[in-house]
Amino acid sequence: MTNLRLRGGWIPLSIVVLILAVLPVAGVSGRWLLYIFLFFVYLSIANMWNLLCGYSGLVCLCLPAFVGLGGYTLVIGTWIGLPTPLGIIAGALVAAGFALLISVPVFRLKGIYFAIGTLVVPEVLKYVFFLWRPVGGALQGGGAGYVLKTADGFSTMDIYWLGLFVGFASVFLLRFILSSKLGSGLAAIRDNERTAAICGIDVFRLKLYSFVIAALVTGMAGTIFYLRQAYIEPASSFSITWTMIAIVGVITGGLRTQAGPILGTMIVVLLLFLLSRYAGYSLIIQGIILLGVMLAAPQGIMGFIGKTRIYRSVVQLASERRY
Amino acid sequence: MPQETLLKVSMIDVFHSSLQVLWNVSLTIKAGEIVALIGTNSSGKSTLLDTISNLIHPIKGSIDFEGKSITTLEPYETVDLGISQVPEGRGIFPDMTVLDNLIIGSYNRKARPKREQNLQMVYDLFPRLGERRSQLGNTLSGGEQQMLAIGRGLMSAPKLMLLDEMSLGLSPLVVNYLYEALREIKERGITIFFVEQNVRRSLAEAETAYILERGRVVLSGPVAELREEEEVRKAYFGV
Amino acid sequence: MTDLADLFTPIVMGILLGGLYALIALGLSLVFGVMKLINVAHGDLVLFGSYFGYAAMTLLGVDPILSLVMSIPILFAIGFFIQKYLMRRAFGISMEAPLLIAFGISLILQNVQQITWSPMARGLTTPYALESFSIGPFRFPLSYLLDFIAALVVTLSLREFLRRTYLGKAINAASQDKRTALLMGINTGRVYAFAFAIAMATAAISGVFLGLTFPFTPTSGISFLILAFGVVIIGGLGSMLGTFIGGMILGLAQTLGGYFASATAQMLILYVIVLVVLAVKPQGLFGRKERA
Repeated sequence: MTNLRLRGGWIPLSIVVLILAVLPVAGVSGRWLLYIFLFFVYLSIANMWNLLCGYSGLVCLCLPAFVGLGGYTLVIGTWIGLPTPLGIIAGALVAAGFALLISVPVFRLKGIYFAIGTLVVPEVLKYVFFLWRPVGGALQGGGAGYVLKTADGFSTMDIYWLGLFVGFASVFLLRFILSSKLGSGLAAIRDNERTAAICGIDVFRLKLYSFVIAALVTGMAGTIFYLRQAYIEPASSFSITWTMIAIVGVITGGLRTQAGPILGTMIVVLLLFLLSRYAGYSLIIQGIILLGVMLAAPQGIMGFIGKTRIYRSVVQLASERRY
Repeated sequence: MPQETLLKVSMIDVFHSSLQVLWNVSLTIKAGEIVALIGTNSSGKSTLLDTISNLIHPIKGSIDFEGKSITTLEPYETVDLGISQVPEGRGIFPDMTVLDNLIIGSYNRKARPKREQNLQMVYDLFPRLGERRSQLGNTLSGGEQQMLAIGRGLMSAPKLMLLDEMSLGLSPLVVNYLYEALREIKERGITIFFVEQNVRRSLAEAETAYILERGRVVLSGPVAELREEEEVRKAYFGV
Repeated sequence: MTDLADLFTPIVMGILLGGLYALIALGLSLVFGVMKLINVAHGDLVLFGSYFGYAAMTLLGVDPILSLVMSIPILFAIGFFIQKYLMRRAFGISMEAPLLIAFGISLILQNVQQITWSPMARGLTTPYALESFSIGPFRFPLSYLLDFIAALVVTLSLREFLRRTYLGKAINAASQDKRTALLMGINTGRVYAFAFAIAMATAAISGVFLGLTFPFTPTSGISFLILAFGVVIIGGLGSMLGTFIGGMILGLAQTLGGYFASATAQMLILYVIVLVVLAVKPQGLFGRKERA
């Protein structure tokens, strides 16, 4: 339904990417750049949540664990002399490794137990990092937080481009997965797990792939976010707010659609932008939007549009216009 | 002997998860009768009972009870009006005692004031239930569970009792006992509409019967006439 | 032998604290048992009760426990509303929908409370909340004892309500077999709404006693949700008495864990225990077996 053939669309897309990439050089205000950066970071997490919940049937609430682990790996890496580029990769790998580690016990849980189980994981990590001082007393200003020791020559512009990268990468990765064997396997599992297993699909392995990939990308998003923020502490890095932003974005835009998370995250970031001085209020509005969407149009905006005739004829026109 | 029409089902089409199960089904049940619904497994018998109980609503057609339309009511409103179903598989609440099962049967407002006298009637009808009143539902034997299910149905002070496959999985002796109880229930003025796979038994106990085949009523009428019908004898008795 | 005497304090504290945990978990257990729904906003709703008590105390000068006279009906009504108009629709949409709706409620509540009361930690610091009582040479906080007593009273009341009243039996029936409950003339929609409303009323009570015992912040909700969930799965969903015992077990686990390991690791130990129980035996020790 949202399978917009990219063949006709590579040019507009490249133009968009080019424009976004050039913005910092063009001297656009730092504030705008920050929000665009946030959009792409949140987008990558939202896409991963869509992959897990929308396409793999895993109502996973442990994304903050991956964000935090990614961030901490990066920050601690700077204290032990790990060059930042490696730190970013390491962050993603640590998150993925963690996902691998907990996958066996966690996948044994079904339904609501899985959801709550994954909810507990980031909370546990939060406490672990409250107590554990991996690089000793190298704390700044008390508490359990760590400052980024060095950005290793990464300028704000570089970080911005990294943000763009992870955001776009998440979109294409998702697209790629969905059209691959993994994607159809996941669709089967989502439909009816037992039947899928009987048909010879290795349910555990496919879910694992989804889970680890999501952890990888989310972890990377985390490292890039904390590279920019240059300071990390347990309460906010493992906070459920990450999950909430992803959920509101995906549900509003449309669960199980490819364009949905993009649209939804845009709305979320727009709200944050407009109410930047009143962060709490924007979250309240997000909550109300979530409730409203769930009750009125649970398929989200893209899901809703996909059903109307107008959209279908536009798509028809667009595809007929090829060549 | 002129009897009032208690339940009138008129030309209903019923769907069950987007598959049509009943086509143009009509039937009439008069007050005080015992009516049988005969049919094989996939004939739609349970769906018909569920539609009367309003667990499902028909897409087309109507159902009237005591002259008033009940087609679009909620299931609990149907019970309030006096239609009680003893479901297939008995539907005993396994973790409640026999007594609690019976008490919950009298949940609807009209039945509550009559609770104690109905309870006594159930114990008179099924002394076994009185003996086992503090036992949990899932410790009863199949036959006892069926007695409990029927007793529970009685507790709702019904005018019409629907029974779905009462004799399923029970020994002939127990089934005899249960049908005897049904006859006694009829004596007390309660109309009975039962679903039964065993044709012989159905025709023996009922006064009127409807035969349902793949969602359609293929034969109906007084039992005496049906027994003579060529088709019935050929199809069900192999004669 | 000195070891045993040393253990006396954490054991008694654990049992009394368990009362508070049980009190918090009762509502969750009831709703989970009846509707198989975990209300992820439960912790935040408990906090709503705490903040209500705080408002009564600071703005009206009313004792928080007395203020329950107001907060119980209010939370009862809110619960009825949430189930009837939000959750009920959600069940018809998808498996995840109730979870997402509860999430939305949680998001709204957390931030409303954050704006109204600031992220600063608050406590219901009534004069008696700071008192202590003694057993022999040992002193214990009075609030812990109050928690235990409240938990006992609410647990037993709920249990009797579920056993003896028509509505209670209907809740029980609807949780065992919804279809048959409908055939009994039970309006399951209304029954579910009442169950949720009762759960919220207990949340109001637990919020006040929570506030008397510990300081709380707008973001404490999740910890209490996880705690309550742990109690429910240890004690068994739907069983009031089981939930009470589950609370004891978790309370003891925390205090003994704090005694043997370290005080700061208490919450961590608790969470790990919850995860372990979750992995090993999700139905709990006392609960009904999940029917396929």
